[in-house]
Amino acid sequence: MLRYTVHRLLGAIPTLLVIVTLAFLLLHAAPGGPFDSDKHILPEIQQSIEAKYHLNEPLARQYLRYLADLLRGDLGPSYQYRSTSVNEIVAQGLPVDATIGLTAIVLALLAGCAIGVNAALHRGRPWDYGTMALAVLGISTPVFVVAPLLILIFAIGLHWLPSGDWVRGSPSHLLLPAVALALPYTAYIARMMRASTIEVLNSPFIRTARAKGLPWRLVVWRHALRPTLTPLISFLGPAIAGLMTGSIVVESVFGLPGIGRYFITAALNRDYTLVIGITVIYGALIILFNLLADLCYAWIDPRVRLQ
Amino acid sequence: MRRSGRALSTCVACLIAGCGGAPSAGPASPSPPHSVFVVGSEPAAAQVLARGLDDTPRSMDPQLVNDVPGQRVADDLFEGLTVVDIGGRPSPGVASSWDSDANGRTWTFHLRPDARWSNGAPLTAADFVYSWRREVDPRTAANYAEGLAPIVNALDIATGHKPPETLGVEALDSRTLRVHLNGPTPYLLDLLAQQYLYPVYAPAIQRYGDEWVRPEHMVCNGAFTLRENVIGSRITLEKNPRYWDARHVRLQRVTYYVLPSRADQAARYLADDLEWTDSFAANQRNWLKSIVGDEAVNSPYFGAYFLGMNVTLPPFKDNLPLRLALTLALDREPLVFYMRQGMYEPAYTWMPPLPGYQQPIPDWQRMGDAERHALARKLYRQAGYSEQHPLRLALSIPSQDSDSRHFFEAITASWTSLLGAQVTLDEMEFKVLAQDRTLHKLPFFFDAWIGDYPDPYNFMQVRYTGNGNNNAQYSNPAFDRLIDAAGEEPDNLKRYQLFEQAERILDDDAPYIPLYYYATRHLVKPYLRGWQSNIVDRNLSRYMYLLEHHRR
Repeated sequence: MLRYTVHRLLGAIPTLLVIVTLAFLLLHAAPGGPFDSDKHILPEIQQSIEAKYHLNEPLARQYLRYLADLLRGDLGPSYQYRSTSVNEIVAQGLPVDATIGLTAIVLALLAGCAIGVNAALHRGRPWDYGTMALAVLGISTPVFVVAPLLILIFAIGLHWLPSGDWVRGSPSHLLLPAVALALPYTAYIARMMRASTIEVLNSPFIRTARAKGLPWRLVVWRHALRPTLTPLISFLGPAIAGLMTGSIVVESVFGLPGIGRYFITAALNRDYTLVIGITVIYGALIILFNLLADLCYAWIDPRVRLQ
Repeated sequence: MRRSGRALSTCVACLIAGCGGAPSAGPASPSPPHSVFVVGSEPAAAQVLARGLDDTPRSMDPQLVNDVPGQRVADDLFEGLTVVDIGGRPSPGVASSWDSDANGRTWTFHLRPDARWSNGAPLTAADFVYSWRREVDPRTAANYAEGLAPIVNALDIATGHKPPETLGVEALDSRTLRVHLNGPTPYLLDLLAQQYLYPVYAPAIQRYGDEWVRPEHMVCNGAFTLRENVIGSRITLEKNPRYWDARHVRLQRVTYYVLPSRADQAARYLADDLEWTDSFAANQRNWLKSIVGDEAVNSPYFGAYFLGMNVTLPPFKDNLPLRLALTLALDREPLVFYMRQGMYEPAYTWMPPLPGYQQPIPDWQRMGDAERHALARKLYRQAGYSEQHPLRLALSIPSQDSDSRHFFEAITASWTSLLGAQVTLDEMEFKVLAQDRTLHKLPFFFDAWIGDYPDPYNFMQVRYTGNGNNNAQYSNPAFDRLIDAAGEEPDNLKRYQLFEQAERILDDDAPYIPLYYYATRHLVKPYLRGWQSNIVDRNLSRYMYLLEHHRR
């Protein structure tokens, strides 16, 4: 298992290099530069700005310079937010996204699993139909509808919770964004758990367990639950990575200082270093959580062998 | 000289926008609802203000700030020789008085003795010399270095031809600053209240480099100090007890919340989490008015929204009839009334109204619709187009601005129905549009101009031959001569007349299609006092305070 993990981690390095290279080339190929503005500046001033950020150097040299900095853990200065480094932006934003993302995933797991398993156990009955209809609604209602709706009800209508902002350690500021993020995932997980529970309950080893005379509750808890988690885990790997790097919509609607919004704004502003920086982090998190998912498989399903 | 204030940001479609977004038939004037607040006459016990901000400031370093959000925050943290007053006009700041020589080329500023930095150090004339040299020093790489152009040698220094020490500014003693100008600069006092002429604290910059702007290192001289800067989320300021006029500053704390989506700002305002929004969306105006009534405030803003026509590219090259035909064909009143919820003033000429300035309104503005339409059709035919050979052209517009798309669609539809012209919309990413416009690749494009300070020169210079912002590549020696003459004219009345003559020439040459003048737009709680709508849309927290209040 250790060998497998090390092997996978080493394999991530070329993947990340490809991500960095592609992001670097694509960004530099896009028309317009970080310091092109709609307001004209004297060419000499423009040149001195570009020289300050080494943008006047040949592309290959800029690329090597970036890689060398990256190896030292330096993601470079942000071009758009002057006198601010990408490291600072990430260090400030990632913990916020991680807190909201992980809270959302825990909420989604708890609610989704409970609803899904219960629906499977009550298959074909009103509880099943009702919750699954809600799940379909949850999946098909985008966050940009859910989030403002929550604000409308709980902040503007009832004045119970703040309409946004981020205060570290304040549950009231965490609740609405986490719920908004969790809802679609809850729905996904509920549907997934329902399907896999139904499949597992029909498998031979459950029949054997029941034939042994085990009570139904024990059959479900001890035998059925663990294998039903397999499809969930392959879903959770990339989902957690995505949630941890923030949701553009939730961040903007609630005014949270996460990094998700920069996927768009930084790209539009041609803030090269910021885009590449958060892309690398996102890529690394995806690789990491996929690896964790694979390790979990082996733990949950004895038939899986890691090689 | 800043451009349309909002920097690029994602506009997230929002349900709340949907609630009010349904464009009703024009700007009905809903009966103002009864305010939900009972406002007392005494100041509130907690003087804590929450303000919305349209975007993350690009920098906290006033000399690097080139965006509106950055200016808003810099205005609270720093103060120049002059400062904008509650009405947006320059008034004594760090300088308590000044005098100039007869030809207006040498100015002497007397700094107030009680001006201090937030760490208690005295603020001296040498600080201004250091700061202004830093602004034009190419090593600072400041976008606005050109803003100091009226000062002797500033441009030569910014372009690397002279050392910063040659800048035309000297400290006669610790309290007296002398400024040497290239020519009479009647807008100098306005210019001095711009953030790029604010003083910065040399010891902090020398010690911390770029990191001097962090809350723990920053030393400033304004009414507030920086307590916290959460990038992309909020900026918290606290009253600066060492500010020279601190006894008149009532707010103890100001927090700017960064909310790029105007719908989100409105939502936060309605939830009572903001007392002031930076703006609100045009398409939410009627809805907001129906909820908050007079709390939604509009007033004229010194900015113009227009279409540019590159006069060196076909089809506009040597084709004045075509340029005029497209200009005359638009019915501005209904277009602005219905498509912009009546929030803005229709524009018939280049520069927005300015007190004391006689706008040269073109004759066609006074024509009846039928007469004007007939003239437009005639000019269109003169330009060589007809139903069989219609004008086929693309109008380049920014893709991020979904709010404006309907407006542009209405414009092109007008040309189609009146002239038969086939103008299509070419949506471009904003950075690409800006670049192509500057490189003069686009024949027909969206453009906008917002004046930094209320002086005609701010607008007129854009049309000067070879000006970097002259995206239409307009050039008329007669126009240039008038601008040059205005630059040498110390008498403001005569100077304005020269600009009026120049603008008339510009309108006759029609290198642009005026559409409307911008308006400021804020949502303001009824218990927030100490502010006035003003043409430069600068509202310093320094003057604001809160009255006692509670919800009904």
